[in-house]
Amino acid sequence: MFKVGIPRALSYYQYLPAWEAFFEALGAETVVSPPTNKAIFTAGNSRAVAETCLPVKLFFGHVISLANKCDYMFIPAMRSLGKKAYYCSKFIGLPDMTRALVPECPPILDPEIDLNKGRRNLYSAIYDLGRHFSSDKSRIKKAAKQAEKAHLAYRKEMSDRGITPIQALDEMHRDEDKLYSEPDTSPSLSVALIGHQYVIYDDYINHRLISRLQAMGVRVFTPEMAEQEALDIAMTKLGSAPHWSFEADIIGAGEYYLEAKVDGIISVAVFGCGPDSMMIDMVRHRASEFRTPFLHLSLDEHTSEGGLVTRLEAFLDMVKRRRRVCA
Amino acid sequence: MRVGIPHCGNAYVMAEALVQKLGNGKNELIIPPPTSHRTLDLGVKYSPVEACLPFKLTLGNLIEACELGADTLVHARGTGVCRLGYYVKEQEQIVHDLGYDARFLTLDVSQNKFRSIMSLIKEVANDAPWPQIISALYFAMEKLFTLDKMEKAIHRVRAVELEKGRANQIHREAVKAISEAKMVGQVKNTAKEYIRKLDQVPKDPTGDPVKVSIVGEVFVVLDPFANMDIEMELGKLGVEVERTMSLSRWVKYRLFLNYLGVNEWKEVHKAAMPYLKRNVGGDGWESVGEKVVRAREGYDGVIHLAPFTCMPEIVAQNIMPSTKEDIPVLTVLYDEQMARPGMITRLEAFVDLLKFRRRRMRK
Repeated sequence: MFKVGIPRALSYYQYLPAWEAFFEALGAETVVSPPTNKAIFTAGNSRAVAETCLPVKLFFGHVISLANKCDYMFIPAMRSLGKKAYYCSKFIGLPDMTRALVPECPPILDPEIDLNKGRRNLYSAIYDLGRHFSSDKSRIKKAAKQAEKAHLAYRKEMSDRGITPIQALDEMHRDEDKLYSEPDTSPSLSVALIGHQYVIYDDYINHRLISRLQAMGVRVFTPEMAEQEALDIAMTKLGSAPHWSFEADIIGAGEYYLEAKVDGIISVAVFGCGPDSMMIDMVRHRASEFRTPFLHLSLDEHTSEGGLVTRLEAFLDMVKRRRRVCA
Repeated sequence: MRVGIPHCGNAYVMAEALVQKLGNGKNELIIPPPTSHRTLDLGVKYSPVEACLPFKLTLGNLIEACELGADTLVHARGTGVCRLGYYVKEQEQIVHDLGYDARFLTLDVSQNKFRSIMSLIKEVANDAPWPQIISALYFAMEKLFTLDKMEKAIHRVRAVELEKGRANQIHREAVKAISEAKMVGQVKNTAKEYIRKLDQVPKDPTGDPVKVSIVGEVFVVLDPFANMDIEMELGKLGVEVERTMSLSRWVKYRLFLNYLGVNEWKEVHKAAMPYLKRNVGGDGWESVGEKVVRAREGYDGVIHLAPFTCMPEIVAQNIMPSTKEDIPVLTVLYDEQMARPGMITRLEAFVDLLKFRRRRMRK
């Protein structure tokens, strides 16, 4: 049985259930790298050029940690997930960058996902990927169907129950008794966390931001806790067609939670992120129109925990005080 | 309608030539003052902190155009994976926040370029008849092509001239004369005259200058303000500079020959294939390919220019060291914090390395 390596980074948080379902249906085993740790961080950091953004550096670290544990490495080249909407260059160049920077990496499965060219393009990419494991066309098709089902179920699970991808994935892979309880509705403050999944859910990058906020008595909302359609609708309300495939997850989510009247918005981005450098500014602009408190955290490999905590505390104090005054 | 445009290298010469030929009527073309430190300051002040240098510089240009009374602003929009696709959305908001009531016209530079550019010219030219527009466009292109031809000649002379600075002086005079020329014939004669002048510049007869190719992100490669006159500084160090990218080449292929199925980058993409299989947006693919091509052609080095945080060029930068075609590459990243002396020191060190490598390889 072939082992397929899946690095726990970047698109992992969005598509792991789909990928696992697909490979399992084709009789392959999947191996996921461990949560980001210091060794992964150091390994990735030492390979890539300094200007590369932190999540991509971590991605290489995850690939290195998997290198001798699998027969194939699954690294899709994500170009586009919709008409005239694109991914960042680094996602497209990911397989080629990995080849250049991690020579010990096993053969890379790099389907190019380009929905701008239509669904047919996606089907042929999936078929080419499936052929590595099975020559039976209908079996590949069935696997793809199962992947889609798994993805939709995963997405629904998160938006229905208001849980994060981490919680949803944990439940899928662990025993029933570890089931997460329904979110506690007692906290007094609601804060929306806006950012890419690989930033808000990687505790190594963001210094356990979500649990920190929860410990401070904050009910945290993330883009995944809203239905995808709702985010798309919020996005279209702003009038312009998205340029990035993940624009609804940032600008749409910002708009959605602003309308839902959260007490504050915290945007989390990594330093040097091209798309975020522009999108976050749009969210900030909308937040000021809604007169909702807004905090932007720019993270990189040097971000200190202490500085982060101080800023969070100051922000929450401000939000609380504002609520008292306005109430 | 008063149309303001941003700067990019010598693109303004084309715009000036069009105004010269088509005149200003109800609709007017406003060329903002040449990019200066004020432009940069304005751009930096009003842009998001982490935006890239081309964003900040073009925003500065557009604000300066607004100050001159522009009510319509033109900006390029690429449908690709680079931030360029987002420029218009963001800049429109910033300009409006500053209180300018300006409309944005987007010039699509990746699809339907020809049509969108022609219809824009037609509009700005107050609906002048097509023959007049075409002759004006021809005139403007002649100027652009002549300027780029002059630049190529200058690169060769700069490296080997005995009295440093002579070529630059001739270049300045030539640019002035060309932009003042009123007819196509005049442009051609001026070019001939200055090429002759360049030939007469005393040169080092034993000169065998180090040859370096400049590759990278199109805006910083083409705009001397953005790249801090890197070509001139290299010339001072006695380096012969070659660069494939130029505005006239862009116009020639992207506006005309691409439609006939000619791909100017075909060879370069082929060379990049073993290392980077696909277009990553911007000019990343071309940067990797050109490194390979230049190594095969026996160049001494490659200088790779990019704005700080440029996504496609970071991909290129990560991949470049792994090619088996070996050639030294110096990556220079530009942002508003960059200082010229820092760049010059790095260039000097790089050129020393190239000279040393050449001596060792010839032994």
